[in-house]
Amino acid sequence: MKTARRHWVVGTLVAAGALCVFFPFFWMAVTSLKTVPEIQRVPLQVFPDRWANLDNYREVFQRQPFGRFLANSALIASISAFSSVVVSSLAGYGFAKFRFPGHGLCFFAIVGILMVPFQSVVVPLYLWVNRLGLVDTYAGILAPDLVSVFGVFLMRQSIEVVPTDYIDAARIDGAGELGIFWCVVLPSVKPALATLVIVKFMWTWNELFWPLVVVNSPTMKVVTLGLVSFTNMYFIEYNLVTAAAVLSTVPILVVFLVCQKWIVRAVVMSGLKG
Amino acid sequence: MTHFQRQRRAGFLFVLPALVYFALVFLVPLVESVIGSFYRTVPGGDSRFVGLRLYEKVLGDSSFWQAVNNTLGLVVMSVPTTVILALALALGLHRLASLRWRSAWTAMYFLPFSVSLVAAALIWQWMYDPVYGLLNHLLGRLGLPPQKWLQSLDMVRPSLAVVNVWLRLGFDTIIFLAALQAIPGEYYEAAAIDGAGAARALRHVTLPLLNPQIVMVGILEMIFNFKVFDTVYATTQGGPAGASQTVIMLLYDTAFKYFRLGEASVMAVFVFVSLLLITLLQWRLFRRQVEY
Repeated sequence: MKTARRHWVVGTLVAAGALCVFFPFFWMAVTSLKTVPEIQRVPLQVFPDRWANLDNYREVFQRQPFGRFLANSALIASISAFSSVVVSSLAGYGFAKFRFPGHGLCFFAIVGILMVPFQSVVVPLYLWVNRLGLVDTYAGILAPDLVSVFGVFLMRQSIEVVPTDYIDAARIDGAGELGIFWCVVLPSVKPALATLVIVKFMWTWNELFWPLVVVNSPTMKVVTLGLVSFTNMYFIEYNLVTAAAVLSTVPILVVFLVCQKWIVRAVVMSGLKG
Repeated sequence: MTHFQRQRRAGFLFVLPALVYFALVFLVPLVESVIGSFYRTVPGGDSRFVGLRLYEKVLGDSSFWQAVNNTLGLVVMSVPTTVILALALALGLHRLASLRWRSAWTAMYFLPFSVSLVAAALIWQWMYDPVYGLLNHLLGRLGLPPQKWLQSLDMVRPSLAVVNVWLRLGFDTIIFLAALQAIPGEYYEAAAIDGAGAARALRHVTLPLLNPQIVMVGILEMIFNFKVFDTVYATTQGGPAGASQTVIMLLYDTAFKYFRLGEASVMAVFVFVSLLLITLLQWRLFRRQVEY
Protein backbone atom coordinates (compact mmCIF):
# COMPACT_ATOMS: atom_id res chain seq x y z
CA MET A 1 0.00 0.00 0.00
CA LYS A 2 2.73 2.39 1.00
CA THR A 3 4.85 1.64 -2.06
CA ALA A 4 1.81 2.07 -4.30
CA ARG A 5 1.27 5.54 -2.92
CA ARG A 6 4.94 6.36 -3.34
CA HIS A 7 4.69 5.30 -6.97
CA TRP A 8 1.86 7.73 -7.47
CA VAL A 9 3.82 10.56 -5.93
CA VAL A 10 6.87 9.87 -8.09
CA GLY A 11 4.71 9.54 -11.19
CA THR A 12 2.93 12.81 -10.53
CA LEU A 13 6.17 14.71 -9.87
CA VAL A 14 7.78 13.37 -13.04
CA ALA A 15 4.70 14.24 -15.08
CA ALA A 16 4.43 17.74 -13.61
CA GLY A 17 8.09 18.39 -14.36
CA ALA A 18 7.67 17.16 -17.92
CA LEU A 19 4.74 19.50 -18.47
CA CYS A 20 6.79 22.41 -17.08
CA VAL A 21 9.63 21.59 -19.46
CA PHE A 22 7.18 21.38 -22.33
CA PHE A 23 5.36 24.57 -21.43
CA PRO A 24 7.68 27.07 -23.19
CA PHE A 25 6.98 25.29 -26.50
CA PHE A 26 3.27 25.62 -25.92
CA TRP A 27 3.66 29.28 -24.98
CA MET A 28 5.69 29.94 -28.11
CA ALA A 29 3.01 28.35 -30.28
CA VAL A 30 0.03 30.19 -28.77
CA THR A 31 1.83 33.54 -28.75
CA SER A 32 2.61 33.18 -32.43
CA LEU A 33 -1.15 33.06 -33.11
CA LYS A 34 -2.02 36.20 -31.16
CA THR A 35 -2.28 39.81 -32.25
CA VAL A 36 -0.39 42.56 -30.43
CA PRO A 37 -3.46 43.72 -28.44
CA GLU A 38 -4.08 40.11 -27.40
CA ILE A 39 -0.51 39.79 -26.15
CA GLN A 40 -0.84 42.94 -24.11
CA ARG A 41 -4.29 42.18 -22.75
CA VAL A 42 -4.80 42.35 -18.99
CA PRO A 43 -5.56 39.99 -17.38
CA LEU A 44 -3.35 37.67 -19.32
CA GLN A 45 -5.08 35.36 -21.71
CA VAL A 46 -3.73 31.93 -22.52
CA PHE A 47 -5.38 31.03 -25.80
CA PRO A 48 -5.55 33.17 -28.93
CA ASP A 49 -8.90 34.64 -29.99
CA ARG A 50 -8.63 33.08 -33.39
CA TRP A 51 -6.70 29.80 -33.73
CA ALA A 52 -6.42 30.26 -37.48
CA ASN A 53 -4.73 33.67 -37.20
CA LEU A 54 -1.64 33.28 -39.38
CA ASP A 55 -0.99 37.00 -39.85
CA ASN A 56 2.21 36.88 -37.82
CA TYR A 57 3.63 34.19 -40.07
CA ARG A 58 2.75 36.22 -43.14
CA GLU A 59 4.38 39.26 -41.57
CA VAL A 60 7.58 37.29 -40.82
CA PHE A 61 7.98 36.45 -44.50
CA GLN A 62 7.23 40.04 -45.52
CA ARG A 63 9.66 41.71 -43.12
CA GLN A 64 12.61 39.47 -43.91
CA PRO A 65 13.46 36.96 -46.62
CA PHE A 66 12.67 34.24 -44.11
CA GLY A 67 12.02 31.66 -46.81
CA ARG A 68 15.53 32.28 -48.04
CA PHE A 69 16.90 31.84 -44.49
CA LEU A 70 15.13 28.52 -44.16
CA ALA A 71 16.41 27.40 -47.56
CA ASN A 72 19.98 28.48 -46.68
CA SER A 73 19.87 26.56 -43.44
CA ALA A 74 18.39 23.49 -45.10
CA LEU A 75 21.11 23.52 -47.76
CA ILE A 76 23.99 24.03 -45.35
CA ALA A 77 22.70 21.49 -42.86
CA SER A 78 22.13 18.88 -45.58
CA ILE A 79 25.62 19.26 -47.02
CA SER A 80 27.23 19.13 -43.60
CA ALA A 81 25.22 16.03 -42.67
CA PHE A 82 26.19 14.31 -45.91
CA SER A 83 29.90 15.14 -45.78
CA SER A 84 30.00 14.23 -42.13
CA VAL A 85 28.54 10.79 -42.80
CA VAL A 86 30.98 10.09 -45.64
CA VAL A 87 34.16 11.14 -43.86
CA SER A 88 33.14 9.79 -40.44
CA SER A 89 32.16 6.35 -41.67
CA LEU A 90 35.41 6.03 -43.64
CA ALA A 91 37.42 7.04 -40.59
CA GLY A 92 35.29 4.95 -38.28
CA TYR A 93 35.94 1.89 -40.42
CA GLY A 94 39.66 2.63 -40.55
CA PHE A 95 39.87 2.94 -36.78
CA ALA A 96 37.60 0.00 -35.99
CA LYS A 97 38.91 -2.67 -38.30
CA PHE A 98 42.51 -1.80 -39.21
CA ARG A 99 45.75 -1.50 -37.31
CA PHE A 100 48.38 0.77 -38.78
CA PRO A 101 51.37 2.61 -37.37
CA GLY A 102 50.14 5.60 -35.38
CA HIS A 103 46.64 4.12 -35.07
CA GLY A 104 46.29 4.86 -31.39
CA LEU A 105 47.92 8.26 -31.65
CA CYS A 106 45.64 9.34 -34.50
CA PHE A 107 42.52 8.31 -32.64
CA PHE A 108 43.74 9.98 -29.48
CA ALA A 109 44.41 13.18 -31.44
CA ILE A 110 40.91 13.20 -32.88
CA VAL A 111 39.30 12.63 -29.50
CA GLY A 112 41.58 15.33 -28.10
CA ILE A 113 40.00 17.79 -30.49
CA LEU A 114 36.88 17.54 -28.37
CA MET A 115 38.88 19.50 -25.83
CA VAL A 116 39.43 22.39 -28.22
CA PRO A 117 36.54 24.82 -27.94
CA PHE A 118 35.53 26.16 -31.33
CA GLN A 119 35.84 29.70 -30.00
CA SER A 120 39.56 29.14 -29.45
CA VAL A 121 40.17 28.66 -33.15
CA VAL A 122 37.61 31.02 -34.57
CA VAL A 123 39.88 34.01 -35.21
CA PRO A 124 42.52 32.19 -37.32
CA LEU A 125 39.74 30.27 -39.03
CA TYR A 126 38.05 33.51 -39.97
CA LEU A 127 41.32 34.90 -41.31
CA TRP A 128 41.77 31.79 -43.46
CA VAL A 129 38.24 31.97 -44.81
CA ASN A 130 38.80 35.64 -45.53
CA ARG A 131 42.09 34.98 -47.33
CA LEU A 132 40.42 32.35 -49.47
CA GLY A 133 37.65 34.79 -50.38
CA LEU A 134 34.97 32.63 -48.80
CA VAL A 135 33.41 35.21 -46.48
CA ASP A 136 29.66 35.41 -47.12
CA THR A 137 29.57 32.21 -49.20
CA TYR A 138 28.03 28.82 -48.54
CA ALA A 139 31.50 27.27 -48.61
CA GLY A 140 32.61 29.72 -45.94
CA ILE A 141 29.67 28.93 -43.68
CA LEU A 142 30.25 25.22 -44.16
CA ALA A 143 34.02 25.21 -43.67
CA PRO A 144 34.21 24.23 -39.98
CA ASP A 145 31.03 22.13 -40.01
CA LEU A 146 31.85 19.46 -42.56
CA VAL A 147 32.88 16.75 -40.11
CA SER A 148 32.43 16.42 -36.37
CA VAL A 149 34.42 14.37 -33.91
CA PHE A 150 31.15 12.97 -32.60
CA GLY A 151 30.57 11.36 -36.00
CA VAL A 152 33.94 9.63 -36.12
CA PHE A 153 33.40 8.37 -32.60
CA LEU A 154 29.89 7.11 -33.26
CA MET A 155 30.87 5.34 -36.47
CA ARG A 156 33.87 3.69 -34.89
CA GLN A 157 31.75 2.36 -32.04
CA SER A 158 29.11 1.07 -34.45
CA ILE A 159 31.47 -0.51 -36.95
CA GLU A 160 33.46 -2.21 -34.22
CA VAL A 161 30.59 -4.65 -33.58
CA VAL A 162 30.25 -5.65 -37.24
CA PRO A 163 31.68 -9.21 -37.35
CA THR A 164 35.17 -9.19 -38.83
CA ASP A 165 34.42 -12.59 -40.37
CA TYR A 166 32.08 -10.96 -42.88
CA ILE A 167 34.79 -8.55 -43.92
CA ASP A 168 37.38 -11.33 -44.22
CA ALA A 169 34.96 -13.46 -46.21
CA ALA A 170 34.42 -10.63 -48.68
CA ARG A 171 38.18 -10.13 -48.89
CA ILE A 172 38.74 -13.80 -49.71
CA ASP A 173 36.10 -13.49 -52.41
CA GLY A 174 38.35 -10.83 -53.93
CA ALA A 175 36.41 -7.70 -53.06
CA GLY A 176 38.40 -4.45 -52.98
CA GLU A 177 38.70 -2.46 -49.75
CA LEU A 178 36.27 0.23 -50.89
CA GLY A 179 33.90 -2.45 -52.17
CA ILE A 180 33.90 -4.12 -48.77
CA PHE A 181 33.26 -0.78 -47.11
CA TRP A 182 30.36 -0.05 -49.43
CA CYS A 183 28.72 -3.47 -49.66
CA VAL A 184 29.47 -5.07 -46.29
CA VAL A 185 30.21 -2.43 -43.67
CA LEU A 186 27.81 0.39 -44.53
CA PRO A 187 24.68 -1.79 -44.86
CA SER A 188 25.27 -3.23 -41.40
CA VAL A 189 25.42 0.17 -39.67
CA LYS A 190 22.42 1.85 -41.27
CA PRO A 191 20.85 3.00 -37.95
CA ALA A 192 24.08 4.72 -36.94
CA LEU A 193 24.34 6.40 -40.33
CA ALA A 194 20.78 7.66 -40.06
CA THR A 195 21.38 8.94 -36.54
CA LEU A 196 24.50 10.79 -37.59
CA VAL A 197 22.65 12.42 -40.49
CA ILE A 198 19.87 13.62 -38.19
CA VAL A 199 22.07 14.82 -35.34
CA LYS A 200 24.52 16.60 -37.60
CA PHE A 201 21.72 18.23 -39.56
CA MET A 202 20.22 19.42 -36.30
CA TRP A 203 23.47 20.87 -34.96
CA THR A 204 24.31 22.73 -38.14
CA TRP A 205 20.75 24.04 -38.39
CA ASN A 206 20.97 25.37 -34.83
CA GLU A 207 24.43 26.92 -35.13
CA LEU A 208 24.78 30.64 -34.45
CA PHE A 209 28.36 31.60 -33.62
CA TRP A 210 30.16 30.82 -36.87
CA PRO A 211 27.43 32.08 -39.24
CA LEU A 212 27.41 35.29 -37.22
CA VAL A 213 31.12 35.65 -37.97
CA VAL A 214 31.16 34.85 -41.69
CA VAL A 215 27.81 36.10 -42.97
CA ASN A 216 27.40 39.74 -43.96
CA SER A 217 24.66 40.03 -46.56
CA PRO A 218 20.97 39.48 -45.71
CA THR A 219 20.50 36.88 -48.43
CA MET A 220 23.19 34.60 -47.00
CA LYS A 221 21.73 34.56 -43.50
CA VAL A 222 20.80 31.25 -41.95
CA VAL A 223 17.71 30.80 -39.86
CA THR A 224 19.31 31.44 -36.47
CA LEU A 225 20.60 34.79 -37.71
CA GLY A 226 17.15 35.50 -39.12
CA LEU A 227 15.67 34.87 -35.69
CA VAL A 228 18.07 37.28 -34.03
CA SER A 229 17.18 39.94 -36.60
CA PHE A 230 13.66 40.10 -35.17
CA THR A 231 14.99 41.43 -31.90
CA ASN A 232 16.49 44.75 -31.00
CA MET A 233 17.43 46.61 -27.90
CA TYR A 234 14.32 48.71 -27.49
CA PHE A 235 11.18 47.01 -28.58
CA ILE A 236 10.54 43.40 -29.48
CA GLU A 237 7.43 42.24 -31.25
CA TYR A 238 7.03 38.89 -29.57
CA ASN A 239 4.18 37.81 -31.78
CA LEU A 240 6.62 37.92 -34.72
CA VAL A 241 9.58 36.51 -32.79
CA THR A 242 7.57 33.50 -31.67
CA ALA A 243 6.19 32.95 -35.17
CA ALA A 244 9.74 32.98 -36.54
CA ALA A 245 10.85 30.69 -33.72
CA VAL A 246 8.08 28.24 -34.56
CA LEU A 247 9.12 28.26 -38.21
CA SER A 248 12.74 27.59 -37.27
CA THR A 249 12.12 24.88 -34.67
CA VAL A 250 9.19 22.87 -36.02
CA PRO A 251 11.07 21.11 -38.85
CA ILE A 252 13.71 19.98 -36.39
CA LEU A 253 11.23 19.06 -33.65
CA VAL A 254 9.30 16.81 -36.01
CA VAL A 255 12.37 14.94 -37.22
CA PHE A 256 13.65 14.74 -33.67
CA LEU A 257 10.44 13.25 -32.30
CA VAL A 258 10.18 10.71 -35.10
CA CYS A 259 13.77 9.53 -34.73
CA GLN A 260 14.17 9.97 -31.02
CA LYS A 261 14.82 6.34 -30.25
CA TRP A 262 17.92 6.32 -32.44
CA ILE A 263 19.18 9.65 -31.17
CA VAL A 264 18.88 8.50 -27.58
CA ARG A 265 20.83 5.36 -28.40
CA ALA A 266 23.58 7.38 -30.06
CA VAL A 267 23.78 9.81 -27.14
CA VAL A 268 24.06 6.96 -24.68
CA MET A 269 26.56 5.06 -26.79
CA SER A 270 28.97 7.89 -27.37
CA GLY A 271 27.88 9.98 -24.41
CA LEU A 272 28.88 12.99 -26.33
CA LYS A 273 28.77 16.57 -27.32
CA GLY A 274 28.99 19.73 -25.34
CA MET B 1 53.80 -5.18 -51.35
CA THR B 2 52.56 -7.89 -49.06
CA HIS B 3 48.95 -8.38 -48.17
CA PHE B 4 49.65 -7.13 -44.67
CA GLN B 5 51.26 -3.91 -45.86
CA ARG B 6 48.45 -3.28 -48.30
CA GLN B 7 45.94 -3.61 -45.48
CA ARG B 8 47.82 -1.22 -43.26
CA ARG B 9 47.92 1.30 -46.05
CA ALA B 10 44.20 0.87 -46.69
CA GLY B 11 43.41 1.50 -43.03
CA PHE B 12 45.48 4.65 -43.02
CA LEU B 13 43.85 5.91 -46.22
CA PHE B 14 40.38 5.42 -44.69
CA VAL B 15 41.34 7.60 -41.76
CA LEU B 16 43.25 10.19 -43.75
CA PRO B 17 40.41 12.53 -44.86
CA ALA B 18 39.23 12.99 -41.28
CA LEU B 19 42.77 13.54 -40.03
CA VAL B 20 43.53 16.17 -42.68
CA TYR B 21 40.24 17.95 -42.07
CA PHE B 22 40.62 18.13 -38.30
CA ALA B 23 44.23 19.25 -38.64
CA LEU B 24 43.22 22.07 -40.99
CA VAL B 25 40.17 23.21 -39.04
CA PHE B 26 41.33 22.72 -35.46
CA LEU B 27 45.02 22.00 -35.00
CA VAL B 28 46.50 24.60 -37.34
CA PRO B 29 44.17 27.40 -36.15
CA LEU B 30 44.83 26.47 -32.53
CA VAL B 31 48.56 26.89 -33.07
CA GLU B 32 47.88 30.12 -34.93
CA SER B 33 45.77 31.36 -32.03
CA VAL B 34 48.68 30.80 -29.66
CA ILE B 35 51.10 32.53 -32.02
CA GLY B 36 48.61 35.33 -32.68
CA SER B 37 48.38 36.08 -28.99
CA PHE B 38 51.96 37.43 -29.13
CA TYR B 39 51.32 39.81 -32.01
CA ARG B 40 49.52 43.09 -32.10
CA THR B 41 47.75 43.75 -35.38
CA VAL B 42 47.84 47.36 -36.45
CA PRO B 43 45.24 48.77 -38.83
CA GLY B 44 46.38 48.06 -42.35
CA GLY B 45 47.11 44.42 -41.66
CA ASP B 46 50.68 44.61 -40.33
CA SER B 47 51.42 42.81 -37.13
CA ARG B 48 54.19 43.36 -34.66
CA PHE B 49 55.65 40.96 -32.13
CA VAL B 50 54.92 42.30 -28.65
CA GLY B 51 55.80 39.35 -26.45
CA LEU B 52 53.55 39.00 -23.44
CA ARG B 53 52.30 42.59 -23.67
CA LEU B 54 48.79 41.55 -24.77
CA TYR B 55 48.53 39.02 -21.96
CA GLU B 56 49.37 41.77 -19.51
CA LYS B 57 46.78 43.99 -21.10
CA VAL B 58 43.95 41.44 -21.13
CA LEU B 59 44.71 39.90 -17.75
CA GLY B 60 45.06 43.36 -16.22
CA ASP B 61 41.69 44.46 -17.53
CA SER B 62 38.88 44.53 -14.99
CA SER B 63 36.17 44.00 -17.59
CA PHE B 64 37.86 40.73 -18.59
CA TRP B 65 37.77 39.52 -15.01
CA GLN B 66 34.17 40.61 -14.69
CA ALA B 67 33.37 38.43 -17.71
CA VAL B 68 35.26 35.52 -16.14
CA ASN B 69 33.36 36.09 -12.93
CA ASN B 70 30.01 36.17 -14.69
CA THR B 71 30.85 33.01 -16.59
CA LEU B 72 31.88 31.19 -13.44
CA GLY B 73 28.70 32.45 -11.78
CA LEU B 74 26.66 30.85 -14.54
CA VAL B 75 28.65 27.62 -14.22
CA VAL B 76 28.21 27.49 -10.46
CA MET B 77 24.49 28.13 -10.67
CA SER B 78 23.57 25.84 -13.50
CA VAL B 79 25.95 22.85 -13.41
CA PRO B 80 25.03 21.46 -9.96
CA THR B 81 21.36 22.25 -10.52
CA THR B 82 21.27 20.43 -13.83
CA VAL B 83 23.18 17.39 -12.58
CA ILE B 84 21.17 16.99 -9.37
CA LEU B 85 17.82 17.55 -11.06
CA ALA B 86 18.76 15.12 -13.84
CA LEU B 87 19.79 12.50 -11.29
CA ALA B 88 16.56 12.86 -9.35
CA LEU B 89 14.59 12.77 -12.55
CA ALA B 90 16.36 9.67 -13.83
CA LEU B 91 15.70 7.90 -10.54
CA GLY B 92 12.04 8.91 -10.76
CA LEU B 93 11.68 7.84 -14.37
CA HIS B 94 13.42 4.57 -13.61
CA ARG B 95 10.80 3.79 -11.00
CA LEU B 96 7.86 4.27 -13.31
CA ALA B 97 6.34 0.89 -13.94
CA SER B 98 4.79 1.73 -17.28
CA LEU B 99 7.42 1.71 -20.00
CA ARG B 100 5.21 3.67 -22.34
CA TRP B 101 4.77 6.56 -19.91
CA ARG B 102 8.43 6.45 -19.06
CA SER B 103 9.46 6.97 -22.66
CA ALA B 104 6.78 9.60 -23.21
CA TRP B 105 7.96 11.72 -20.27
CA THR B 106 11.60 11.18 -21.20
CA ALA B 107 10.82 12.40 -24.70
CA MET B 108 9.30 15.58 -23.27
CA TYR B 109 12.31 16.31 -21.09
CA PHE B 110 14.62 15.69 -24.05
CA LEU B 111 12.72 18.02 -26.39
CA PRO B 112 14.66 21.25 -25.61
CA PHE B 113 17.85 19.49 -26.73
CA SER B 114 16.68 19.77 -30.31
CA VAL B 115 15.96 23.48 -30.55
CA SER B 116 18.52 26.16 -31.26
CA LEU B 117 19.88 28.07 -28.29
CA VAL B 118 18.70 31.23 -30.01
CA ALA B 119 15.09 30.09 -30.22
CA ALA B 120 15.21 28.87 -26.63
CA ALA B 121 16.61 32.17 -25.42
CA LEU B 122 13.98 34.18 -27.25
CA ILE B 123 11.09 32.08 -25.93
CA TRP B 124 12.39 32.56 -22.40
CA GLN B 125 12.99 36.24 -22.94
CA TRP B 126 9.33 36.54 -23.83
CA MET B 127 8.32 34.75 -20.64
CA TYR B 128 10.71 36.98 -18.69
CA ASP B 129 9.28 40.17 -20.22
CA PRO B 130 8.88 42.65 -17.33
CA VAL B 131 5.58 44.08 -18.54
CA TYR B 132 3.65 41.44 -20.46
CA GLY B 133 5.67 38.34 -19.54
CA LEU B 134 4.08 35.22 -18.16
CA LEU B 135 6.36 34.91 -15.13
CA ASN B 136 5.56 38.32 -13.73
CA HIS B 137 1.91 37.58 -14.29
CA LEU B 138 2.23 34.41 -12.24
CA LEU B 139 4.11 36.29 -9.52
CA GLY B 140 1.29 38.80 -9.46
CA ARG B 141 -1.23 36.00 -9.00
CA LEU B 142 0.76 34.84 -5.97
CA GLY B 143 0.80 38.35 -4.61
CA LEU B 144 4.54 38.80 -5.17
CA PRO B 145 6.16 41.90 -6.67
CA PRO B 146 7.15 41.72 -10.37
CA GLN B 147 10.81 41.17 -11.23
CA LYS B 148 12.91 42.70 -13.97
CA TRP B 149 14.54 39.34 -14.76
CA LEU B 150 16.95 39.78 -17.66
CA GLN B 151 17.06 43.53 -17.13
CA SER B 152 18.11 43.41 -13.52
CA LEU B 153 21.72 43.35 -12.36
CA ASP B 154 21.09 40.60 -9.79
CA MET B 155 18.54 38.50 -11.62
CA VAL B 156 20.09 38.35 -15.07
CA ARG B 157 22.56 35.52 -14.36
CA PRO B 158 20.12 33.26 -12.48
CA SER B 159 17.58 33.89 -15.24
CA LEU B 160 20.06 32.82 -17.92
CA ALA B 161 21.09 29.84 -15.79
CA VAL B 162 17.48 28.67 -15.75
CA VAL B 163 17.47 28.66 -19.55
CA ASN B 164 20.64 26.57 -19.58
CA VAL B 165 19.19 24.09 -17.11
CA TRP B 166 16.04 23.80 -19.19
CA LEU B 167 18.11 23.17 -22.32
CA ARG B 168 20.36 20.49 -20.86
CA LEU B 169 18.22 18.64 -18.34
CA GLY B 170 16.89 16.03 -20.76
CA PHE B 171 20.27 15.16 -22.21
CA ASP B 172 21.75 14.47 -18.78
CA THR B 173 18.68 12.56 -17.66
CA ILE B 174 18.97 10.22 -20.62
CA ILE B 175 22.57 9.40 -19.82
CA PHE B 176 21.74 8.71 -16.17
CA LEU B 177 18.67 6.69 -17.06
CA ALA B 178 20.64 4.45 -19.40
CA ALA B 179 23.23 3.89 -16.69
CA LEU B 180 20.52 3.06 -14.14
CA GLN B 181 18.99 0.53 -16.47
CA ALA B 182 22.37 -1.16 -16.81
CA ILE B 183 22.66 -1.87 -13.05
CA PRO B 184 21.77 -5.52 -12.45
CA GLY B 185 18.78 -6.08 -10.16
CA GLU B 186 20.77 -8.58 -8.06
CA TYR B 187 22.78 -5.76 -6.53
CA TYR B 188 19.62 -4.34 -4.98
CA GLU B 189 18.46 -7.79 -3.88
CA ALA B 190 21.79 -8.31 -2.17
CA ALA B 191 21.54 -4.89 -0.52
CA ALA B 192 18.00 -5.70 0.67
CA ILE B 193 19.13 -9.03 2.11
CA ASP B 194 21.84 -7.18 4.00
CA GLY B 195 19.09 -5.04 5.46
CA ALA B 196 19.70 -1.84 3.49
CA GLY B 197 16.67 0.40 3.01
CA ALA B 198 15.96 2.39 -0.13
CA ALA B 199 18.02 5.36 1.03
CA ARG B 200 21.07 3.25 1.86
CA ALA B 201 20.79 1.32 -1.37
CA LEU B 202 20.76 4.63 -3.23
CA ARG B 203 23.78 5.92 -1.38
CA HIS B 204 25.87 2.74 -1.38
CA VAL B 205 24.81 0.98 -4.57
CA THR B 206 23.31 3.36 -7.09
CA LEU B 207 25.38 6.50 -6.69
CA PRO B 208 28.80 4.79 -6.65
CA LEU B 209 27.85 2.84 -9.76
CA LEU B 210 26.71 6.03 -11.48
CA ASN B 211 29.89 7.90 -10.62
CA PRO B 212 31.49 7.65 -14.08
CA GLN B 213 28.35 9.12 -15.65
CA ILE B 214 28.12 11.83 -13.02
CA VAL B 215 31.71 12.86 -13.70
CA MET B 216 31.19 12.81 -17.45
CA VAL B 217 27.95 14.77 -17.33
CA GLY B 218 29.51 17.24 -14.90
CA ILE B 219 32.38 17.86 -17.30
CA LEU B 220 30.08 18.21 -20.31
CA GLU B 221 27.85 20.67 -18.43
CA MET B 222 30.86 22.65 -17.26
CA ILE B 223 32.09 22.98 -20.83
CA PHE B 224 28.63 23.86 -22.10
CA ASN B 225 28.08 26.58 -19.52
CA PHE B 226 31.60 27.95 -19.80
CA LYS B 227 31.09 28.47 -23.53
CA VAL B 228 27.68 30.12 -23.27
CA PHE B 229 27.26 32.61 -26.06
CA ASP B 230 24.10 32.18 -28.13
CA THR B 231 21.60 32.70 -25.33
CA VAL B 232 23.37 35.83 -24.12
CA TYR B 233 23.88 37.24 -27.59
CA ALA B 234 20.22 36.75 -28.49
CA THR B 235 18.87 38.35 -25.33
CA THR B 236 20.97 40.70 -23.22
CA GLN B 237 24.09 41.14 -25.37
CA GLY B 238 26.02 41.15 -22.11
CA GLY B 239 23.89 43.75 -20.36
CA PRO B 240 22.65 45.28 -18.18
CA ALA B 241 25.90 47.13 -17.47
CA GLY B 242 27.99 44.07 -18.31
CA ALA B 243 26.26 41.89 -15.72
CA SER B 244 25.81 39.03 -18.17
CA GLN B 245 28.96 39.57 -20.21
CA THR B 246 30.57 36.16 -20.62
CA VAL B 247 34.10 35.33 -21.73
CA ILE B 248 32.98 34.14 -25.14
CA MET B 249 30.81 37.25 -25.62
CA LEU B 250 33.82 39.38 -24.82
CA LEU B 251 36.00 37.35 -27.18
CA TYR B 252 33.46 37.80 -29.96
CA ASP B 253 33.18 41.55 -29.42
CA THR B 254 36.94 41.99 -29.17
CA ALA B 255 37.60 40.08 -32.37
CA PHE B 256 34.69 40.92 -34.61
CA LYS B 257 33.40 44.25 -33.33
CA TYR B 258 36.64 46.00 -32.40
CA PHE B 259 38.95 43.86 -34.57
CA ARG B 260 41.55 43.55 -31.83
CA LEU B 261 42.63 40.12 -33.00
CA GLY B 262 45.66 39.80 -30.76
CA GLU B 263 43.66 40.37 -27.60
CA ALA B 264 40.96 38.01 -28.83
CA SER B 265 43.65 35.38 -29.33
CA VAL B 266 44.78 35.83 -25.74
CA MET B 267 41.21 35.13 -24.64
CA ALA B 268 41.04 32.14 -26.98
CA VAL B 269 44.14 30.69 -25.35
CA PHE B 270 42.67 31.46 -21.94
CA VAL B 271 39.44 29.61 -22.77
CA PHE B 272 41.31 26.62 -24.13
CA VAL B 273 43.65 26.35 -21.16
CA SER B 274 40.94 26.84 -18.55
CA LEU B 275 38.64 24.22 -20.05
CA LEU B 276 41.55 21.80 -20.24
CA LEU B 277 42.45 22.42 -16.60
CA ILE B 278 38.86 22.19 -15.39
CA THR B 279 38.37 18.90 -17.18
CA LEU B 280 41.59 17.34 -15.97
CA LEU B 281 40.97 18.52 -12.42
CA GLN B 282 37.44 17.20 -12.32
CA TRP B 283 38.61 13.94 -13.79
CA ARG B 284 41.33 13.53 -11.19
CA LEU B 285 39.23 14.62 -8.22
CA PHE B 286 36.13 12.61 -8.83
CA ARG B 287 37.47 9.66 -10.73
CA ARG B 288 39.34 8.40 -7.71
CA GLN B 289 36.17 7.82 -5.72
CA VAL B 290 35.00 5.23 -8.21
CA GLU B 291 37.57 2.74 -7.09
CA TYR B 292 36.04 1.19 -4.04
